[in-house]
Formats: sequence, C-alpha cells, structure tokens
Amino acid sequence: MFKKADTSALWAVILSLVLFFVGGILTTIVPPMVDHTWAKPFENNDPAKGPTGKLVPLSELELKGRAIYQREGCWYCHTQQIRTLLADTKRYGWKGVDAPISTPDEFVYDNPHMFGTKRTGPDLARVGGKYDTQWHRTHFRNPRDLVKGSIMPTYPWIVNDPKEFEALVAYMQTLGRAKDWRPNHDYEK
Amino acid sequence: MQDQISRAEAIGAAPGAIIHEDTAAKWFLVSSVAYFFIVGIIALLIAAKFVWPDLMGTISWLSYGRLRPLHVNGMLFGWLLAADMGLAFYVIPRLCGVKLWSEKLGMATAALWNIIVLGAVVCLLAGFNQGWEYGELPFFLDVLVVVAWILFGLNVFMTVAQRKYQAMYVTIWYTMGCILWTAFVYLTGNFATLFTTGTNQANLNWMYVHNAVGLIFTPIGLALAYYFIPRAANTPLHSHKLSMVGFWSLAFVYVWTGAHHMIHGPISQWLQTIAIAFSVMLLIPVWAVVYNLFATMKGQWHQLRESVPLKFLMSGVVFYLLTCFQGPMHSLRTVSAIVSKTDWIPGHAHMAVLGAFSFFAIAGTYFVVPKLWNKALHSQSLANWSYWMLMIGGIGFYVTLWLGGFWQGWQWNTWTIPFIDTVVALKPIWIVRFVSGVMMFTGIVMFAYNVMATALGTHEESAA
Repeated sequence: MFKKADTSALWAVILSLVLFFVGGILTTIVPPMVDHTWAKPFENNDPAKGPTGKLVPLSELELKGRAIYQREGCWYCHTQQIRTLLADTKRYGWKGVDAPISTPDEFVYDNPHMFGTKRTGPDLARVGGKYDTQWHRTHFRNPRDLVKGSIMPTYPWIVNDPKEFEALVAYMQTLGRAKDWRPNHDYEK
Repeated sequence: MQDQISRAEAIGAAPGAIIHEDTAAKWFLVSSVAYFFIVGIIALLIAAKFVWPDLMGTISWLSYGRLRPLHVNGMLFGWLLAADMGLAFYVIPRLCGVKLWSEKLGMATAALWNIIVLGAVVCLLAGFNQGWEYGELPFFLDVLVVVAWILFGLNVFMTVAQRKYQAMYVTIWYTMGCILWTAFVYLTGNFATLFTTGTNQANLNWMYVHNAVGLIFTPIGLALAYYFIPRAANTPLHSHKLSMVGFWSLAFVYVWTGAHHMIHGPISQWLQTIAIAFSVMLLIPVWAVVYNLFATMKGQWHQLRESVPLKFLMSGVVFYLLTCFQGPMHSLRTVSAIVSKTDWIPGHAHMAVLGAFSFFAIAGTYFVVPKLWNKALHSQSLANWSYWMLMIGGIGFYVTLWLGGFWQGWQWNTWTIPFIDTVVALKPIWIVRFVSGVMMFTGIVMFAYNVMATALGTHEESAA
C-alpha cells in the first residue's frame, strides 16, 4: 500500500489525506457532538452541586472592553482558566475561598476564546470583582505603583480615554462571575 | 533505493542538461532573510521589555501585546515559511529532473507573500488582532495566505506531475504532505474558528497551533533535512524504508494531539487523554527520522568540521530530537502540572522553530545561495561565526528558560508564595535570556550580511 506511493504522486496524495483526516475529524468535529457541555451555557440553582449562577452574554459595553483586551494582547500573558489543579483553585481564590474550577459551559459565548497559554502575569479567570475601579485605574496607569516588581506594561492610552477604560474594567469585572462563588455576593465594583 | 538521491540528481547536475532559472527561489530567499533580520529586532525588543518593562511603555503600537504577535507571525511566516518555500522551489525541480513548472507564477507568489507580510506588520502594530494564537492576522490577509498557498502548491504539484524520474525521493512526499496538510490545518485555525465559540473554538485553535508546527514546519523542515544532509555530505540516505515509516506515521499521528495544549483545562478529560496518548506516539515518527539522518552521517561526521551547512543541519536534527522528546513528556498530566503556562514553554517552542527548523532553513540557504548566484560564499569564517552565535545564544536561551520555567512551576504549585514573588524571582532568567537573544541576533546579522554580500558581491567566482 505505502510502496505504491513511492512512484504514484496521486496515490501519495490520497493516502496522506486519508490518514490525516481520520484524526482530523475525530478530534475536531466529533468532540463537540459527544460532549454537550461545550455548547450549553452554565446554569445552576442547586447549591448542593456547587456554586449557583447563570452565564449571560456580555453587554455592549463589556464587549467593547473585551475587544480592547483582545487588541492589546492581554491574553498573551494572562490565561483565563482555573485548571483541575489544587494549586490553581487555591492561588486564584479570594479571602480564603477557593476559586471554582473552570468548566466549558462558562465560556460558551466567548469569541474569540481567551483561555491563553502563558502566565507571565496571574490567571484572570476569576478576577471579576476582586479589585475596584480605582485600583484598576492606578494599576493600568503604572502597575508598579501598586505591585512592586511587576513587569506588566503601562497603558496610559487606555486610562486617558475614559470610555475605553470604563469598557475594559466593565469587561474585567465579569470574569468568572457566572459562577457566584464568593460568600455573601462579596464583590468589588 | 539508497542511492536514489544521487541517481535523481545525476542528470540535473550534468553540465548543460537543465538550466534552472531559480528566480522565484531567489525572491523568496532574499525577502525571508531580510525579515529574519527585521523581526529579530522585534524579538530583542520584547525580550528587553521583560527586563525593563517601562521601555517604550507609553507608545501603544510598541507595547508588548502588539509586538509579540508581530514577532511570532514575522518569524513563522515572514522568515521561516518563506525561506522554506524558496528552498522548495530550488529542491523540487532538481529532484524531479525538470524545470519549475512556472517561474512567473513562483515570482508572483513571492510578491504576494511580501504583500501579506507587510500587511501583517501594519495590522498587528495597529492592534488588528483576531485573538487567536498563530491566527492573529485579520480575515483579508488570511484569504491572501490561502491564495498564495494554492499558487505555491499548484507550482510544486505541477512540477512533480511532470517529473522525469518516476520514483519520488522522500523530500518530495514531505513537501507534498506539507502543502496538503497546511491547507486544511490553516483553514481550521483561521476559518472554521469563525463559526465557533468557547471551548469548541479553542479546540480548533489548538489543532491549528499544534499542527502549524507539526504539519507545516515539521514536514517542510524534514523535507529540507532529507535533501540537504545527503547532499551536503555527499553520501546516500541510510534507509528508504525507515523514511517511509517516519513519513506515514507522521501523517497519521500528528493531527490528534491539539488538545494537549489544554491539559487540566476546561476541555473534556477523554479528549485530553487521547491527545496525550497520540503525543507519546509521536516518538515513532521522530525517532525513525532522527535515526535515519544520524545513520546517514555514519563515517561522515568529520565533515562537520569544514561544512557550515552540515553543522546547522546536524545540530538541527539534535534539537529536533530534544524538542520532540520534550513535547510528548509535557503532555503527561504530571509534567504538564509543572511546566504548562511557564517560561519553560517558550524555551521549548524556540528550540523547535529556531533550533531545528530555522537551522535547516539556514543550512539550506547557505548551501544554495552560492549556487543560485554562481559565486563563492562571501565569507566562510563569518558563516562559521554565525553558527556559533546562533548555537550558543540558542542554547543559552532554551536552557535558561527551562530552568526558570521549571522553578516557576514549582513556585506556582506552592500557593502560599505570592504570584509577584514568582515574577521577581525570574528576573535573572530574563536577563540571561536577553543576553542570549543579543547573541542570537548577532548570528542572524552575520547570516543575513553573508547572504546579501554573496548575492550582491562582485566576486564572479564559481561555487565550489
């Protein structure tokens, strides 16, 4: 079978594509058909099953903020996923409460997805409601004013544009909030 | 079978048999070398920003988040893929014993490719970023990439269809495989993603990201290694059969592994397990290829002393072996828990793209440029220096980031250490990375200068 591809270009083409498409189809088209949590928005009303809440699509302002997050490449240094690792749930928890693990149903409306691959800065999957607007303003103007040793870039062109700044913070405050994971709805604004 | 390459080339090399124009190859190579240099400056700049975060911090289009995609896309598409295409235009007609199907089409493809790269520079600096890794380019540029790829593929396939020798050398399969797989992988990562969201989109994105390396740069890189190693060492390939094992197992195994970029992440556990299993199976095609290329050099290693292309080629094979050992190991859940998302990963990725595949392309360029312009290489000693700069700078870069990344991963897993402390701890690592980057960039400058000086030089010496 493979020997024939030595002399027949057409046969080589067919064989390369067939072999490629077996895995290609089984790992891209089939998985979302098998695992329906990829497409079903998160909703839980039963505290016994974990944090309650409901995933809602972003508002216009929040989407504008998300576009800024995308434009500035924030996602190159900040992931948005609490992995199934104890260290992730502990490190990205808040005031002694562990962060819930990220599940596919929390990201159904995300386009483009912002899972990220690199944590030059901390994960932001549950950052919504951790810091207030004034903190973000100071931090975006110069992160080192609040966090000594930080290597995050400064973003004066965002802070100096009230509309952009408002949108970006509005988006960030939504992150991880579909799951109402903090006791007594204790979130900063 | 073993002396296939020498048979295939015997007629092509005979005086007066076929005169290859090679204009398209020249256009691709000259522009790719120029981008290697230009994007190298961007690379240095972003490495510097890790050490001096306020550097040019008030200019939006020079901020890290704008420059990083330019560095990645510029190196992948402006330098490496363009160089690979230029070298394919050199290699394929020679292995087929015919002229390139259409020199004019090849030149048009090179011109279009330059338009795409320049468009990418403007768009990415302006912040027009689609938000997918490796798929940052805006939609209209994606369309142009597809057009250029079809033109390139058409030229190669028509040349193969007209070949004089019925038996196809392994380089031809790898090049054809690259063209076919790239088409579907690129469409998945840049077009299919448009119709999806969330985890589903991420899965397609990683399929593309992983296979951009595995089914674009790997096959075209190996195509070049399979051609240039026997050619530069003037020795037959060790085993045709083993090259078949490597090629067909690559065709089957590679595409399954995309989800290993989301180990422990919000994606089905069973899909992660499939990705891990196939990632480990990648050792089969890799070791088949590496063994074959090493065995080809048996009794010929002494040639490395004199030949710069062979130095690059065989170091590239070693880096390929190492990077493809790391890859399967990273995919294991326990290892992933430590190294994933850390600075280890850029260390690993640079060893693949710079250490292995760029080394193959550099070797090919050093080998063909004197032949293309029919002149002796401007300076052998400078070429040798460029090798050592890229080699030592490269190792400094990879090893430092592995150590730093591993350490970072351990710190992250001790959650009582505040995150900022893990940032401050890596400062020395980033300083060494920057210094290694300066060395690598020096190597790139020497390489680019040597190539340009050979092409533009007045020495009308005939190539050795």
